[in-house]
Amino acid sequence: MIPRPLSLLCEITYRCNLQCPYCYNPVDLRAYRDELSTDQWCALLRDAAGLGVVQAHFSGGEPTLRRDLAALVREASHSGLYTNLITQGTFLDDDLLAELLDSGLDHVQISIQAPQDAAADRIAGAAVHEKKLDALRRVRRHEVALTLNCVLHRLNHDAIGDVIALAEQLGIGRLELANVQFYGWAYRNRAALMPTRAQVRHGEEVVAAARERLKGVMEIVYVLPDYFGEFPKPCMNGWGHQFMTVTPNGYVLPCPAASAIRDLRFENVRDRPLAEIWRDSESFNRYRGTGWMPEPCRSCERRELDWGGCRCQAFLLAGDAGLTDPACSLSPHHPIVVALREAAQETELVARRA
Amino acid sequence: MNAERRPRLGKGIKLHHNRDGGVMLLVPEGALVLNPSAAVALELADGKHTLTEIVDAIVERFDVSADGARDDFEALFDRLAQRGFILQ
Repeated sequence: MIPRPLSLLCEITYRCNLQCPYCYNPVDLRAYRDELSTDQWCALLRDAAGLGVVQAHFSGGEPTLRRDLAALVREASHSGLYTNLITQGTFLDDDLLAELLDSGLDHVQISIQAPQDAAADRIAGAAVHEKKLDALRRVRRHEVALTLNCVLHRLNHDAIGDVIALAEQLGIGRLELANVQFYGWAYRNRAALMPTRAQVRHGEEVVAAARERLKGVMEIVYVLPDYFGEFPKPCMNGWGHQFMTVTPNGYVLPCPAASAIRDLRFENVRDRPLAEIWRDSESFNRYRGTGWMPEPCRSCERRELDWGGCRCQAFLLAGDAGLTDPACSLSPHHPIVVALREAAQETELVARRA
Repeated sequence: MNAERRPRLGKGIKLHHNRDGGVMLLVPEGALVLNPSAAVALELADGKHTLTEIVDAIVERFDVSADGARDDFEALFDRLAQRGFILQ
């Protein structure tokens, strides 16, 4: 049986004024310049609602660079969808925020690169940290849900406690501390971004203590780094199970990173209706459910908990998207992940001393 | 806990009615599928009804005891409040 999709990620543009090296966007950004029109996005949102989708996430790139963002939010909201804006916040001034709220925006997620401006601006490649804090304070004053997000990696992981303190100071109710996932630009930069084991252990302790202390005040979502767990992440809760991503130029992907899988042909809403792509396409059906699974997934008790992990990661690391995710300790390809993780440990900086 | 509290949905929290009659609570980055009695309770969580009134409505419509329903829904609202989905 074909499941009902619940969530649609609209990557409305890959344009962005920042240069974060941990971005999961594809490295060949120029291939995505032929963006869908306002009408095409609106039709897509209506079709998604018709299929049963209940949430639309507007992301990118930087989605506020599209001047029709508020019109798209309005269309989604009119179609009964919960609307979520994932932004780095540098263009979220009073006018744009008012327009978005008037269009029915339900939730804003703003990302920072680090808790202090020098470090944050270095990672972002532009002097924007203060603007982001302004945007956070601005959104905080309104009747809309707000999440502060900080992607963690080697360069900022030690500041995790300061990120939590900043969130407290800003009165944030929901904080997402997500370790970098190695796709797109982050895959290219993974040796420099991989956290050390000591950082991860420290991070877990800090988060556990903060959760206890801030119970009922702040919800802290902590996403473990991929290469450190015993089992893989249940990527997308299963391929073609609940999630769809649409790229700026209209390709429909089962996972935001799926374009990395070079031997799978993805379909475009310019050529085929969304409902058919979801239901009938080879790209959505190839890894749907559990029938495609090889060992050790096929006979694994966890096969419907983690769904074999991430198809894109299996392709990137082991060369075949139809294999168990090498991040799983049971995968025969797990030594690849161990080697990448351990290589990062050895490149730790040594402080100078006499 | 005070039975006179008047729970209401938190910022950016919404109820969604499916075409098949099912109800979901939509929250940032997720959706919770509600059973029929929880759906009724959350419909009434509008900042006007007290917990007592909500429990009374549940007892009237579903085959449950008043004491059991009070414990269950106090616990439900507390759980949701802890994640910021309910203010009370």
